[in-house]
Amino acid sequence: MALAGGVALLRLAAGGLRGPGSLLWAQHSRDATATPTTSLPPQAPLRFCSRQDAPQPPPAPPSPYQEQPWEYLESEEYHLLYGASPVWLGYRRNHKGAVPPQRTRKACLRRGKRVGNPCPICRDPNLHVHFRNVKLLDQFICPHSGVILHPTHTGVCMKQHKLLTKAIEQAQDHGLLWLQVPYVPVPREDFSNQHPAIGRTPPAPALAPGSYWYPWYEWQQPPAAAVARLRRLYKGFLKEEARPDAPPAPSAEPKGE
Amino acid sequence: KVFKPVKMELKPPKYKLMTEAQLEEATRKAIEEAKEKLRMPPVLKEREPIDDVLAEDKFLEGTETTKYVFTDTTYSVPHRERFIVVRETNGVLRKATWEERDRMIQIFFPKEGRRVIPPVVFKDENLVAVFQQDRHEDLLNRCIAQFEPDSPDYIRVSSLVISLGLERSRLISGDHRLCVHTCFFIPYRLPAILVISFVCCGLDDATSLITLYHMLHPECPSAKETKEGNLQGVDMIKVFANTESQKEGYIQLALQAYEETMATSTAS
Repeated sequence: MALAGGVALLRLAAGGLRGPGSLLWAQHSRDATATPTTSLPPQAPLRFCSRQDAPQPPPAPPSPYQEQPWEYLESEEYHLLYGASPVWLGYRRNHKGAVPPQRTRKACLRRGKRVGNPCPICRDPNLHVHFRNVKLLDQFICPHSGVILHPTHTGVCMKQHKLLTKAIEQAQDHGLLWLQVPYVPVPREDFSNQHPAIGRTPPAPALAPGSYWYPWYEWQQPPAAAVARLRRLYKGFLKEEARPDAPPAPSAEPKGE
Repeated sequence: KVFKPVKMELKPPKYKLMTEAQLEEATRKAIEEAKEKLRMPPVLKEREPIDDVLAEDKFLEGTETTKYVFTDTTYSVPHRERFIVVRETNGVLRKATWEERDRMIQIFFPKEGRRVIPPVVFKDENLVAVFQQDRHEDLLNRCIAQFEPDSPDYIRVSSLVISLGLERSRLISGDHRLCVHTCFFIPYRLPAILVISFVCCGLDDATSLITLYHMLHPECPSAKETKEGNLQGVDMIKVFANTESQKEGYIQLALQAYEETMATSTAS
C-alpha cells in the first residue's frame, strides 16, 4: 500500500514539473513508464489488490456423464470410490457439539465457490440428480418403509435434497421407481349416467341457433297503438320514411322502442 | 392372503388383550374387510362424451380472454349428479366434458391416491417400463385409484395390463380384486389359468372356470359337446383339453396327477 502511495506521489511530481527547468529524475520518469526503476529489484508488474485481478482457478471441465448420468453408476471409477455401499455412507458433517443441527447447509456452491467438506452429491462432479438414474435415487430411499431419507441422516445439502425429492417424484410418475399406492375401495355409485347433469338435455325451446336469450335483445315489432300515438304527437316533425315499420338501419340512431 | 404386508413407517407393535367375544368380533370384522378388498370393480362400457350446449350468447364474444368453469360444490350431491358448466370466450355456455369434470371434482373434493392431472405412467411408452419390472398389480391399483371405471383411459390401461400380465403368468393368483376380470381375457389364456387353478384350488374352481367360459363363448366346440353330453367335473375338463389345442399336455398331466391323488385317498 505504501509502495502504491509512493508510486502515485512520483507520478504527481513528474507530471507537475514541466518545461526546461525540470529535474533530471523527473524527465527520466516522464520518458519511462510509471514504474520506479531505481531502488526496487525487478518484479512482476504491480497489481492493486482487487477481486477482479486476483488469479482465478481454471473452470472445471464438464463431466463426461452429463448426458447419461446413469452410466456413471456402473463404471469402474464409481466401484473404486464407493463399492457396493451408498454414496452418502461414511460422510461426516462438521458441526459444533454432539447434536447436529436439524437442517444441513443450504447449498454447497455459494457464489461460485465450493465450501469445505461438500455434501456427498456435490463432492463428486459425475453424480447428477436425474429422474432416470434410478440407482442413485434408490440410495436415498429407505428400503424398509419407502420414505425419502432425511438430510441429517445422509448429509446432503438442502438444495440437493430438494432436487432429489423432485427427481424421485418424477421417477415415480414415470413408473421407474416403486411407489406405495394406498388402497382405494371400489366406488359404490350409480354408473347409469342418466342424470341431466351428465346425460343429454334437450335444448331450450326458445333457444333456436342464432337467437338471443332475452327477446328484447333483438328488434321487435312495436305495438301499432304506440306507433300511432307517437305519430300524432310529432306530426309536424316527422321525416318522410319509405318503410316506417321496418327495423332501424344500423347507421340511424335507435330511439324509442 | 388378501392382507399382504405393506411397506410403511416403522412403528412399535401394538398388543391387545381381548376376551373370546372380542376376538370373534375382531375376526368377523377382518373377514368383512377382506370381502370388501376382494369386491371387484365394475366392468362398464366407455362413457359417451358430453357435448350439450345450454346457451349461446353472441353478445359476450370478445369480452373475456379466458374460459370460466362453474362447479356446484354442494357437499351432499353425488359426483355423478353435480352440474359443471363452462362459459367459453365466444359466449357459449356448455356442459363440461368428462375430463374437465374429473379434474374439477378432484380439485374441490380431493380423493386419496388420485391426481388432478393423470400421471405420465399411463401413457403407452411408460407402461412398458413398469411391465419390465413385473409390477402389474401395483399398476392396476393405481389405475383404479386414478380413473373412473367407465372412463376410456381406465378401460385401455386395465385391459392392456391384464392381457400382458396373463401372458407372463403374473396375475394368476386369486387374492386380488381383479381375478374375475382375468376371466374376461380367457380366449387366449384359459389353459394356463386352468392348469394353475386346478393345481392350487382344486376341481371345483376349474369346473366353474370352464362353465364361465362356456357362458361367454357358447359357440366354441367344447361348449357344444358339454351341452350335448351334460358332462360334469373331470369329464368336462377332459373334453375341454381335447378340443383346445394349446397346452393340452399340461392339462392331461394335471388330470393324471389329480386322479392318482384321488385313487390314493380313496384307497387309504
